[in-house]
Amino acid sequence: MKAIEISSLKKAFAGKKVLEDISMTVCHGDIYGFLGPNGSGKTTTLRILLGILYPDGGKIAVLGMDPHLDGEQLRQRVNVLPESHGFYGWMRTKEYLRFFGQLYGLQLTSAEWRMRVEQVGLDPADRRPIRTFSRGMKQRLGIARSLLNDPEILFLDEPTNGLDPKGRRKIHDLLLKLNREKEMTIVISTHILDDVERLCNRIAILHNSKIQYEGSLFAPVAGKSIRYQFHLADDKSIPSTWNFPGISCQEKNGPWVTCEIKDIHPDKALSLLVQKGIPITEAIQVNSGLESIYLNFTAQGKE
Amino acid sequence: MGHFKTLIKKECVEEIFSSRGAALYLVGCGVLSVFSLLLVSNTELSLLDNAQAVYMMSAIIIALALLIAVIRGSDGFAGERERDTLETLLITPVSPVEVAIAKLMGIISSWLVVFVFSMPYLWAVGSTGQNLLSAFEYLFVAGTLLVIIFGGFTLALSARMKTLKGALSVGLTAFLLSGSPILLGPSLRQSSIGRFIDLINPFADALNMLDSVVVDSLGVLFQIIPLAILVSYTIAAIWVLSMATKKVEL
Repeated sequence: MKAIEISSLKKAFAGKKVLEDISMTVCHGDIYGFLGPNGSGKTTTLRILLGILYPDGGKIAVLGMDPHLDGEQLRQRVNVLPESHGFYGWMRTKEYLRFFGQLYGLQLTSAEWRMRVEQVGLDPADRRPIRTFSRGMKQRLGIARSLLNDPEILFLDEPTNGLDPKGRRKIHDLLLKLNREKEMTIVISTHILDDVERLCNRIAILHNSKIQYEGSLFAPVAGKSIRYQFHLADDKSIPSTWNFPGISCQEKNGPWVTCEIKDIHPDKALSLLVQKGIPITEAIQVNSGLESIYLNFTAQGKE
Repeated sequence: MGHFKTLIKKECVEEIFSSRGAALYLVGCGVLSVFSLLLVSNTELSLLDNAQAVYMMSAIIIALALLIAVIRGSDGFAGERERDTLETLLITPVSPVEVAIAKLMGIISSWLVVFVFSMPYLWAVGSTGQNLLSAFEYLFVAGTLLVIIFGGFTLALSARMKTLKGALSVGLTAFLLSGSPILLGPSLRQSSIGRFIDLINPFADALNMLDSVVVDSLGVLFQIIPLAILVSYTIAAIWVLSMATKKVEL
């Protein structure tokens, strides 16, 4: 089922084309990575999808609704973390979340408020005004706000900006949990490829006002190798040569083996190795090849 | 309706209890203190008829309230846009028209604070004379209508202009232009052009109304025309505001 459908979307600012004939589809339950260099039109597309910016042409349907005709109804069911979101600095965390909660028609109890603050790694006992918060804390608060109405579609514009590695991991885990447990559709606009590799199942690459690629995260990598490190329970069981189609053993270091996987989905490669009796206890993706694909797509045409 | 109340509450709290709000009221109180002190202690000004002093003080209070309304109105959308808070507000299920009306209510709440603060000053300069109660009544009515007119028009400007600087400069220019006919000499104001400008200028209408009530002790029947003009401007300001905020873009 389609959560978002865009066809032939166009937008220009002062005669300069920002989006030209953009078409893309996001299905329910997807974690969709919207990639592109700075200024490529990702934020513009998200704003159009929310009905706060008007397109010059094209058709848009979000949850089957037109964002410009049914904007208020739609915004009740979706939410956004904008890239540059300001805060009312005089408010405190509790006031801020209560204020936005009430705009969604929610009356947050103390327990709900605590849960929502804690799930993004903020301290509910912190009673300082928001203007004193660090950038990372504000980002976490922004994420808590964007989850207030349990949206069916969550749009995130550069969600891990300003977060430390621990904070990033916490937000990744939270997003994966929401997607798994609540089947929340998540659209992430970013140029941080690590976020995309970790979270997304489908991607679109926007460059030069056009979609250069749209599809599964694995598909553009086909033909390129992905490097994995496998930890084996018994290092004596490492064969001297591996002759599995699409998997080649590169290095051995104690119980760790580094492999190159090519022309086969990593999940399939892993099950193949397990089927062949190799005692894999852990698999770590070292490089998905997305970076070279991204650079390849975004290097085309004028920068 | 619930979220509309929440928005109004936020705007009122922001207008009245923020540090910027407190600073504006403090400056306002300073200005009123200086003028009331001049009216009671200056040798020439203290010779003024008591009703004249009340009228002058009322004019200053209205000018002050309008200045605050213009500053607040310009900041309404353009300021939030610059502080990146407008997008967070527009992505909620609230319509921009509701946001605009809530902001206008915030500006009105600001005027109510100014009105309450100004009461002791007005009493100080006019407690011994007549028409003080009428001055309070008409000051409240004219001030509220003018605040809606100026606040509404500048909020509409602010929704359409991208920068706070732009909205504020246009708003202040309009405020000064509307105040300038009052500075015209009495003979020029008596000419047909002067009378016409006075008639179509809401600021001048409000002051003429106060003049005729407080100084000339004229009744409500004589105030129908200026009141009708003020009400027409108020309706126009609300209509312009709702049109300008139907489609607010970032």
